Amino acid sequence: MILHDWVLSPNCYKVRLMAALSGQDLTLRAVNLYPEREHLSDEYLALNPAGTLPILEDGDLVLGESAAILAWLGEGWLGQGKAEAARVQAWLSFAERLNATAGRARNIDMLGVPGSLSEAQKGGRACLRELELALSDRRMEGGTFLVGDGPTIADIACFPHVMLAPDGGLTLAPYPSIRLWTRAVRALPGFVEMPGIHRLHELSPEPEMETELR
Amino acid sequence: MTDPSRWHPAALSQDLVPATVIPARCGPHEIALWRSETGALRAWQDRCPHRGMRLSHGFVRGEMLSCIYHGWRYDGEAVCRKIPAHPALEPPSSITVPRFRVAEAGGVIWIASDPGNSAPPEMAEGLRPLRSVPVDRSAAGLRDALGHDVPARLEDGLCVLVQEIDETRSVLHALTSGNVEPKIASRRLESLRRRFEKEPAA
Amino acid sequence: MKDQWYPVAMLSELGRDPVETILMDAPVRVWRDADGTACAATPEGRKLPVTEAYHHLWTSPGAPDRPLFDIPEARQPDRRFVPCGRVRVACSPLRAVENFLDIAHFPFVHTDILGAEPHTEVARYKAEVREDDDEVWATKVEFYQPQAAKSASGGVTTQYMYRVPAPTSSVLYKTSPPRPGEWDVIAIFVQPVTETRCDVWPWMALFDETTPQADLVAFQQMIFVQDRSILENQVPALLPLDPGLETPTRADMTSIAYRRWLKSHGYTYGAQLVAA
Repeated sequence: MILHDWVLSPNCYKVRLMAALSGQDLTLRAVNLYPEREHLSDEYLALNPAGTLPILEDGDLVLGESAAILAWLGEGWLGQGKAEAARVQAWLSFAERLNATAGRARNIDMLGVPGSLSEAQKGGRACLRELELALSDRRMEGGTFLVGDGPTIADIACFPHVMLAPDGGLTLAPYPSIRLWTRAVRALPGFVEMPGIHRLHELSPEPEMETELR
Repeated sequence: MTDPSRWHPAALSQDLVPATVIPARCGPHEIALWRSETGALRAWQDRCPHRGMRLSHGFVRGEMLSCIYHGWRYDGEAVCRKIPAHPALEPPSSITVPRFRVAEAGGVIWIASDPGNSAPPEMAEGLRPLRSVPVDRSAAGLRDALGHDVPARLEDGLCVLVQEIDETRSVLHALTSGNVEPKIASRRLESLRRRFEKEPAA
Repeated sequence: MKDQWYPVAMLSELGRDPVETILMDAPVRVWRDADGTACAATPEGRKLPVTEAYHHLWTSPGAPDRPLFDIPEARQPDRRFVPCGRVRVACSPLRAVENFLDIAHFPFVHTDILGAEPHTEVARYKAEVREDDDEVWATKVEFYQPQAAKSASGGVTTQYMYRVPAPTSSVLYKTSPPRPGEWDVIAIFVQPVTETRCDVWPWMALFDETTPQADLVAFQQMIFVQDRSILENQVPALLPLDPGLETPTRADMTSIAYRRWLKSHGYTYGAQLVAA
């Protein structure tokens, strides 16, 4: 499988994260989205007329939407039964709202994309409050992830935009349930980071302790 | 205006799990609030003395807190014990982080900036922590609307502690009494917030 | 600092329509004339001096008394040149440069790429202000790196040299994995937008004949954006030039020399002079 990828894109990162967590190999093709806008070249528009990244090629299958790619890669991560699968779909739509608000704020604030930063931040904050309520509910039920007992593609779709919200000037400090959920995602076996999302250094041993164990 | 000896509600205990650091506030002060692996609670100035990096971005291993920037490691007394760039060096004991008083009672974490020995406000028995929510309204405005009891008791078994963030923002730490169902109480808290944010600040 | 040269655009993005940017709190318009001349001017129409160099347009709000600093390696024909675009950071332009001069953070911020525990030690190196050139230099810098460059495979002890030829620009030289004995060149050119905001323009001149350009750009964008959340969370936002507020160690000798040099020249835009 080939992933046409940009290292700073949260939507590309969703695919890298899903593949890493599920133990699937990706061949990464870096696309010079910025500054060269290579994703709008004739070659890339022929592959994906929408002019977006990520693009996944798996044999004859070409997918250009991150939610669709997550569905393709995420066997076993789609929710158990009809109700959970439907809830996962709701969160995939929510992830699009995050992308259009918090994600947009990040593009404006970090990369100088034109647009109203305050409008984007306002929308992003409303999304974060909605997510905090839902995750607080989940904790009251004894759950950790967005849907069901374990992680699903719903978590993978929402996690990058949420973690990167501070890149767009949105603070995560007031959302304790979001904080615990992002820690749970970062603690999943096989987790990989992206620029702006640090790993949990607490999961690695302190070097001097390592020496003592030897 | 702020009484420096006052205890500020900073977080609900359930939101700070062991081996975690979070950003918090004590009045105007920014705090790195952390819990060690065995559960010891500390509240320090949110600033590494090396390069000024916020310690709330750091990480907890065992009983010590490390700064994310260069890994400088501080023990429970806020004394620097390790500088990874110089592993063989015993750091000078003068490298310390200013500490704040911290106390935990009834499922609430309180922080105070004064060096005294007062205890945090006593609250009635039997309150269950619910959740903390940010509100775009001044703490004074919220207290005027909710009353000055600690915690303020509202209808339907909802109780709230008001924490000041700045002139326009606060946090409500909510608890419940009686048999109210938590998810229902959580929604009442949301409608309360909507009402406060709609009303013009007096 | 008004009389220094600053980057304000990538030459490849310069067009006939003026684009507005901000330099030291003041708006600046940049464009390319019909006859191909790059231009910079204030909104009121006052023309500003310009220099085209290292794939960027440079200008100054004042009157520079000498040309832009030279990077001799930019004239070596067999190097690959990699402009990486702009990253905006809510930090002092001086803090952005100081972080670029720092190696001790590699294991914690660029984990498993530029550094990794337990290889955290910074060996003694040499830092100095070269009076003849009026530049800050650090030499004989060494650090263990799991993946030093896109072209590197496996861990290696990498040699570094650092150079600060202007208050908001820095050039580093590091072991070139495909060509031992030669130095790869990586620079950051920092555009001071305000005292607490800057646009950072990374640029590289490498020996690497095989790695696609997009991978080289992505590698540098990855490294720089890993630093961004650090830079936006240092307190105070302004760089303290007087001792007392922060605690340097031997690993920070480059930063100590940089701060002294800034202070001796009165380069204080983005700095804090009195310890709070």
